[in-house]
Amino acid sequence: MIPDQSIEEPISLSMVPYTGTWTKAEAAHLLRRTMFGATNQQILDAVANGMATTVTSLLQIPAVSDPITYDPNDTISTVGTTWINSVYPTNVTAAQLTENARIKSLGAWMMKRINTEQLNISEKMCLFWQNHFAATATLDSRATYNYHMLLRSYALGNFKQLVKDVTIDPCMLLFLNGASNNVFSPNENYAREILELFTIGKGPQIGPGDYTYYTEEDVAAGAKIFTGFLVEGLRSDTLTSPVSTFYPILHDATTKQLSAHFGSVTIPDGGASEYSNYIDIIFQQPQVATYICTKLYRYFVNYDLTPTVQSTVIAELAATLIANNYDILPVMQELLSSEHFYDVALRGSMIRGPLEVIYGMFNATSSTPNFNLATDSDMYLSIYWFAENMGQAYATPPSVAGWIEYYQAPAFSKLWVNSTHIKSRFDIASYITVFTGIPVNGDNLKLDALTFVDGLSLPSDAITVIDDMCDVFCPKPISAAQKLTLKLILTNGQPDFEWNIQYTDYLANPGNTSFSNPVKQRVELVLMRIFQIPQFQTI
Amino acid sequence: MKRRNFVKNISLASLATPFVLKGINYEAVSKKLFNYSKSAEDRVLVLIRLNGGNDGLNTVIPVDQYANLVIQRSNIIIPEPSILAISPEVGFHPVMTGMQNMFNAGQLTVVQNVGYPEQNRSHFRSMDIWSTGMLDQNETRGWLGRQFDNDYPNYPADYPNATYPDPFAISMGYEVSSTCQGLMANFSQALEDPFATVNLLASNVANDGTYYGSHMEYLSTLIDQTNAYGSQINTAANAGNTLSTLYDINNPVAMHLKSVAQMISGGLKTKVYILNINGFDTHDAQVSTTDVMAGTHADLIKMLSDAINAFQDDLNLLGISNRVAGMTFSEFGRQIASNASLGTDHGDAAPLFLFGTCINAGIIGPNPSIGNAINDQEGVGMQIDFRDIYASVLKDWFEVPVADIQPLFEQTVTYYQVLGACNVGIEEEEFAKNKILLFPNPAVSNTSIRFEAQNEWVKIDILDFNGRSVKTVYDSNINQGTHTISFEIGELSPGNYFVTIQKTSGDQTAKLVKLK
Repeated sequence: MIPDQSIEEPISLSMVPYTGTWTKAEAAHLLRRTMFGATNQQILDAVANGMATTVTSLLQIPAVSDPITYDPNDTISTVGTTWINSVYPTNVTAAQLTENARIKSLGAWMMKRINTEQLNISEKMCLFWQNHFAATATLDSRATYNYHMLLRSYALGNFKQLVKDVTIDPCMLLFLNGASNNVFSPNENYAREILELFTIGKGPQIGPGDYTYYTEEDVAAGAKIFTGFLVEGLRSDTLTSPVSTFYPILHDATTKQLSAHFGSVTIPDGGASEYSNYIDIIFQQPQVATYICTKLYRYFVNYDLTPTVQSTVIAELAATLIANNYDILPVMQELLSSEHFYDVALRGSMIRGPLEVIYGMFNATSSTPNFNLATDSDMYLSIYWFAENMGQAYATPPSVAGWIEYYQAPAFSKLWVNSTHIKSRFDIASYITVFTGIPVNGDNLKLDALTFVDGLSLPSDAITVIDDMCDVFCPKPISAAQKLTLKLILTNGQPDFEWNIQYTDYLANPGNTSFSNPVKQRVELVLMRIFQIPQFQTI
Repeated sequence: MKRRNFVKNISLASLATPFVLKGINYEAVSKKLFNYSKSAEDRVLVLIRLNGGNDGLNTVIPVDQYANLVIQRSNIIIPEPSILAISPEVGFHPVMTGMQNMFNAGQLTVVQNVGYPEQNRSHFRSMDIWSTGMLDQNETRGWLGRQFDNDYPNYPADYPNATYPDPFAISMGYEVSSTCQGLMANFSQALEDPFATVNLLASNVANDGTYYGSHMEYLSTLIDQTNAYGSQINTAANAGNTLSTLYDINNPVAMHLKSVAQMISGGLKTKVYILNINGFDTHDAQVSTTDVMAGTHADLIKMLSDAINAFQDDLNLLGISNRVAGMTFSEFGRQIASNASLGTDHGDAAPLFLFGTCINAGIIGPNPSIGNAINDQEGVGMQIDFRDIYASVLKDWFEVPVADIQPLFEQTVTYYQVLGACNVGIEEEEFAKNKILLFPNPAVSNTSIRFEAQNEWVKIDILDFNGRSVKTVYDSNINQGTHTISFEIGELSPGNYFVTIQKTSGDQTAKLVKLK
């Protein structure tokens, strides 16, 4: 049975600000796309504040605290302090142990950032950039951290400047062989990817070595342009951070010739700033704006890019980006406020990625590990590995093109689920609800079912509890039969008023587990069930 | 893959009419040669992916190029006396005793110098090319996925069903294989443990015609399918058996192959199994600092060799070996010259292996030629296009008609004879014992023939396709036993030939392809 209101009208292509109804359905859609897991209260606040105010709040990027050492194998930074500006021990073995401790700290910190996201887009933007500039972790966690922070600081910043900074970032110089690209042996790796994946994109091949927007000639010229940088200070016992340094002697000082796609311009020797001059020329091509806006659209809205969407929505976003000299913020502002974005045809149009599954459970139930530094950190690493098992290891995309689910036609996000991954999703749902939780150092990480249910609109009313849970976890209304099933799990098959009595008794005796445990168990069972229905798998 | 009459469809590759050669009715021979298992429906292909780019030159070692190899890779090269000889010109890494045994038993083929034009040295891109079987980067379906799409339209919606209750492909581990990516879904089920029961909560959510609706349908189908296929897998695993004592519990590839044998013997009708071995990207420490025959690469190919050998042993003991053929693949080989870190960097072509009792055992293609001076970053040149091997496997093993194969590929397909006689059944066993082996084949300048003889007079000739002798290779008495005779063919013009052995105990013939 398909309820009438679920049958879609043709999709709106208008980018004018949305002025239609603003209820939990629309607000939850906005938060589902811009956050990993909004709570019922955050959705209610968004309804109360209105669309424009909520979008503005989402686009404020907050500062974050530093990762801190929790493993005493880091022999330089003591437990509880940060290691991000610490040298490494001189002894190679000790340096490796220190690095092992730091990469664990960094992984746990990254996972904690997502778990503790407030009402803003920054964590989703960080994942977007990690996927776009898909360099993987390097052997010095300070470089990996600095790279992550670079992406974070430009979350909604200037795309052109971000490309420039990424180009000479130590992590990227190592990842795409920029650090071994010099006048004596040019390496085309970065020169190719900056065009193919990072800025203008590869178009159809329209001639020998000609990919519509650039040619092999540009790749070869780019390799020469980027020559001259080395990375120094990796795991150094004196330098507090790895740095990239320009050596004129390693730079190709000849004049480089670009193809007709870039106006056949020549780039004279520009020394340490030549790479920047070249990037300025790349960014003169409007295709750069089209390319990055397409990628943003696929990530935030829908992967199916019809020619109509391309010629309307994407074209308008690209025009906005160019008009704002490649600042991302106005583009996101326009997109998240548009009529198109709120069209009901786009609800649930993507399948959740592994991190969206896991944090969709944890964040929306306000569940965080809360034991001690070491245990919490190891629990975050467990979350990292759960996500890895489902196909998404944060900061370690499978290739320079990022995760295939964001670009591989025709299946796109469907690729996140297969026979093994769907089982992993169902398994973690049961572990953290009705089973023992994720065990670490004798403690167990489970969802906080009581805090969750207490935060709903009217927790003593079984029907409202189920309605709220659907608003939080499902992009569209579920069927009456499914709701009834969920409610019967909550009430254990009893009439609704029995739940009311149970919950009211628990509220009156908050510390008494003989009242709270039955409430907790019923809510855990409903949560497990809702995490195992197809609707929860989409956003 | 639909049932076809093999003999009728295949006859002899590139042979238009049957003809009589020196009193041997060639068609009669070919019928015997191609006496495969009754139905292609029952056949299983096992693919083993060597992820990271295998160093072919330290796996299948061109012994006749040894002097020049020493110049290029002195810090990692296997000492000549330790190389396991499989022919006068070709040897295996010393850890590959299992695969050497298989080669000697006629259960292994080495296909030399496999790659594709204009090799891409990016892992990502090159593995895409090998998975899709196409150089076109817009292709998203796998080479097997395209064939499955042709055979089983409307997947996944209409499957499983009464006719096809089992998964079409199983990928061992946590990831489905991109070789099986079809238009709408991947045809492979990811599977870690066939004994684990699967019982996911099923939900039937209707497709309301939106993007969301299509996901609901996809997810509902996937959950149902996972349950249904999981139950079939479970039933087969419990009904199945393994008999070999050679599986090493510490060898993960062997244990995955053991699961495969268990499922096949239990009656699962899955057509393709895919295994993955990571770690072949040996930029450094490919060999150990203290022992050039040990180290990462040795461990990996020992794991591979031991695992395949145990699996083949099991299939033989289970009596199902004529239903199973295997193939390895890797995204590229490595450069000829080693680097200073006891490793090798991304290169070009490399050998691949086919195994099973029904494959055309031997060596296909000549050794790579290693110059005494090479270019910077030079790899092994491609001579055999992997896409042609794929096409040949589809044609020979799954009996896909040639007319249906060509549209699956972008190149004009050249077929190689990847299947030989199945060494099973009394008649075939007798035949196998007497068969001759020609390797490499195709060949450029040299090839070898291996045959059995009594104490008798033997005459070996190379005949052209009109049956005229163009060269006499051997004409003398020979002792009882297995003999390998190498001979030059460099002076012959490229094309198809026959090699005949005339002897008192019975004449034999094999086809030889001479390349430029």
